[in-house]
Amino acid sequence: MPDAAVISQIRLFQRTPGVAIVLVLLIGLFGAIAPGFLSAANLANVLVQSTILTMLALPMTLIIMTEGLDLSMGAVLTLTSLCVAIVSLATKSALLGLGAAVLVGAAFGTVNGWLVAIVGIPPFVATLATLGIAQGLSLIMSDGQSVVGIPHSVRDIYSAAVLSVPVPIIIGLASYGVFHGLLYHTRFGTYVFALGGNREALRYAGLSPTRLLIAVYAIGGTMVGVAGLLMTARMNSGHPTAGLGLEFDAIAAVAVGGTSFERGNGWLLGTVLGVIAVGVLRNGLNLVSLPSSIQVASVGALVIVALFLDGFRSRS
Amino acid sequence: MKHRMTRCLALSFLITAASTQARADNETIAVFTKNQTNPFFQTVRVGADNMAKALNAKILHYIPTKPDSIPEQLSQIEDVVVKKPSAIVFTPVDYKAMVPGVEKINDAKIPVVNITDRSAGGKFVSFVGADDYSLGLETGRFLLKALGGKGNVVIIEGVKGSLTNVDRVRGFNDALKETPGVKLLASQPGNYQRLQALQVMENLMQSNSQIDGVLAANDAMAIGAIEALDGANRKALVIGINGTKEAVDAIKSGKLLASGDYNGFAQGCLGAMMAIRTLRGQPVISEIVLKPTVITSENYQPFDISLEQRTCPTFEDASKLGAK
Amino acid sequence: MTDLIKETLSPPRSILSQNASQAFYRLLAALLICAALTLLSDSFLSLGNILNVLRQASLTFFIASGLTLVVLTAGLDLSVGANVALSACLAGTVIHQTGSPALGILTGLVVGGVVGFLNGFMVTALRIPSFIATYGMLWVLNGVTYWYMAGETVHGFPAGFRQIGSGYFLGLPVPVYLLLIFLAIGSLFAQRTIWGQEIYAIGANPVAARLSGIPVTRRLLLVYTVSGTMAGIASIIFLARLNSAEADIGESLTLPAIAAVLIGGASLFGGIGTVFGTFIGASILTLVLNGMNLLSISANWQPLVTGIIVIVAVWLDMKTRRSAQ
Repeated sequence: MPDAAVISQIRLFQRTPGVAIVLVLLIGLFGAIAPGFLSAANLANVLVQSTILTMLALPMTLIIMTEGLDLSMGAVLTLTSLCVAIVSLATKSALLGLGAAVLVGAAFGTVNGWLVAIVGIPPFVATLATLGIAQGLSLIMSDGQSVVGIPHSVRDIYSAAVLSVPVPIIIGLASYGVFHGLLYHTRFGTYVFALGGNREALRYAGLSPTRLLIAVYAIGGTMVGVAGLLMTARMNSGHPTAGLGLEFDAIAAVAVGGTSFERGNGWLLGTVLGVIAVGVLRNGLNLVSLPSSIQVASVGALVIVALFLDGFRSRS
Repeated sequence: MKHRMTRCLALSFLITAASTQARADNETIAVFTKNQTNPFFQTVRVGADNMAKALNAKILHYIPTKPDSIPEQLSQIEDVVVKKPSAIVFTPVDYKAMVPGVEKINDAKIPVVNITDRSAGGKFVSFVGADDYSLGLETGRFLLKALGGKGNVVIIEGVKGSLTNVDRVRGFNDALKETPGVKLLASQPGNYQRLQALQVMENLMQSNSQIDGVLAANDAMAIGAIEALDGANRKALVIGINGTKEAVDAIKSGKLLASGDYNGFAQGCLGAMMAIRTLRGQPVISEIVLKPTVITSENYQPFDISLEQRTCPTFEDASKLGAK
Repeated sequence: MTDLIKETLSPPRSILSQNASQAFYRLLAALLICAALTLLSDSFLSLGNILNVLRQASLTFFIASGLTLVVLTAGLDLSVGANVALSACLAGTVIHQTGSPALGILTGLVVGGVVGFLNGFMVTALRIPSFIATYGMLWVLNGVTYWYMAGETVHGFPAGFRQIGSGYFLGLPVPVYLLLIFLAIGSLFAQRTIWGQEIYAIGANPVAARLSGIPVTRRLLLVYTVSGTMAGIASIIFLARLNSAEADIGESLTLPAIAAVLIGGASLFGGIGTVFGTFIGASILTLVLNGMNLLSISANWQPLVTGIIVIVAVWLDMKTRRSAQ
């Protein structure tokens, strides 16, 4: 008969998601061996670096909960970032740049949703195709060149701070707040859960799964538009390949965070923890200066270990 | 040639001895390169390592895990600023988009030397690079002369919008303008990738029955083009740029006509040297543009030794190069 | 329940005929592109260029054919490109150091196969979704390759070995023979063997497949191992064709291979698709690039055009599938 403390510890272990365990272990490890890792400046650093990916990973969580996927996010991010650069360069207005980016992002999101929900093309294929289209448009618009000379008002968005909290962190927190409210405290959120797990129930309730699905992808595109502003602000320029491949990082963060690819099981906070875990890993490895090839391999190892822990506990 | 080599060696020993006497305080130098896959950046890293070893400093390498990733290099700069190395030797993955990163290094008051691609902004104690334009021009001229000033050629370009590609292709085109007898059939991008260059070349051979020369913006693409020509049993004179080990082997065996030496090894050496000299309060050269050397079957021997055995140029050599 | 099982296990006939009409429409699409290119470019419709396109398509096809089997089981393998890079680098080094192409080829196949097996192990034993398991594997493989190559290039192989990639036999390029051989083997395996049918059944309904006694775990392991081995074969063709390898060769191979499978009509939900369809998919992608080179269209347009072709191909596919039902 094992004593109660052990049982409660086992229960705690079983209930704690893999990503939380991994994150705590990483922070403990780097806190012990990496000088400067636990300094406030560095921790703020990790959070700021995680903002753009968080803004992709939050809507990606919703999309994956509907048993969908958006592979076009990285390419659309690149395109919206270029839009911010080009429009703000021409109009000298960061706001108009943001407006253009949000429009383009929302348009791509809506097209993705339309292709998936109405035309009926599987999400992976539809968004793989729009990935190519967005990337092509970026190359054509910029002719492969960086766009520079954009007004300072854009750049200040990334480097400014309110009450000494960097603005990107505030934007990240606000995004999380909005998505948390949307998913857990509105009817729309309930429908999103139903879209993945129980689409029939939606139909019985007289709701159109098609429109809901389009809305989910459109929200994703809109967020990518906002993230485009941050991306341009961060580089103080637009670049035709800057965001390529980030969609896979976002998908990995969602999966590491415990959202399942089947049946509408999503965990929004887990996604954020997943993004931060990858950020902490990269930051810590930079601080202890291991060879870069080890850094590459450990990103893969982290993804596999976190999912293994999740699967392992769900069976035990 | 051999004489010069021994002299270089002796001088570098002298300098090493002198500087170790002056100060030997194990500074750490963070070296940023674009990726782990392109052999060129490996020559830069080995050059920096060699120089640091000779001057008794320590090198830390920072390389994006995704090749040429702008967001990742920006993050690495932010991380490194926390770690505060003594100095930084910096290759921007994009010469315009990395400017905010350079400004962060400037704000942290860490001295930084710019190598390879000239950054569009930020303050540097020194720039060390090769002139892509004159490299393209000289290597292109060498090919056109070998063709006897007539014939048909194609250009295989690198990644659109990258600094190296813009200047190298401009050099090729200016060389072509000097030689009106040579006709340019097509100029298509191979994105610095071997496989893409091979396929572009195969396709161009379908639409052009006579191609006498190929100007490729780097060695990997030049060698991809040679494989395509071999596969079709056709012959053309091919040039590349970078002076990689592979290109030197191909020149030796007569398959490649020439390669413009981008001299990553010297860039790495001198970048690290300028950074360390800044820290030790010794004079530095604010700008070093390495002279273009075209590696051919006549002069490949000094390039045909392994990287680790090569000797870094001395400060005196650099001074001569620095004089514009 | 028994009905369900019967339904799942009896698809051979219907799938075969349905797949055949699918493949027909896809072939038609490829022919349409060919006709358009013939009108636009004088040099397109020559025997030389057609062999050229087939030879270029072969590399994508080798990777994509193994991937087709994985997709048939409703899985995905994102690590194929990174697998090609590691296999090519290790095989190249072995040829260099031993001077034996045979040992090198063996190395490439074994490395590719072992990586594939590990993917299968993660998917079956550790129950990690294939998308994520193979994405993690992609990073691990890249890390190993970067470390192993340390920025170097391995190059210069014996002329005999290079015949595999760039040689001709009776006027046809050697990779084209290999392509035809693997197309035949792959199609026969998937359509005419019990194992192949079991793979279709697993993709169509894994629960029913398990209940009906199909050794699902073993078949999945087989499928991922085959996919990895095909990546190994692709790495050998790559080495022989380019006479060299470096750590970054895999980057640009994965997405085209997946696109070829999808344009070829396979469904990511499993159970639908053919190796022949994948071959057509790879050919269509290659035709587009070939056409753009022949017409000297700027490479900036290539991703855009490819994206549109993927949508049109899949949309046509769905139209024909619906009208067939």
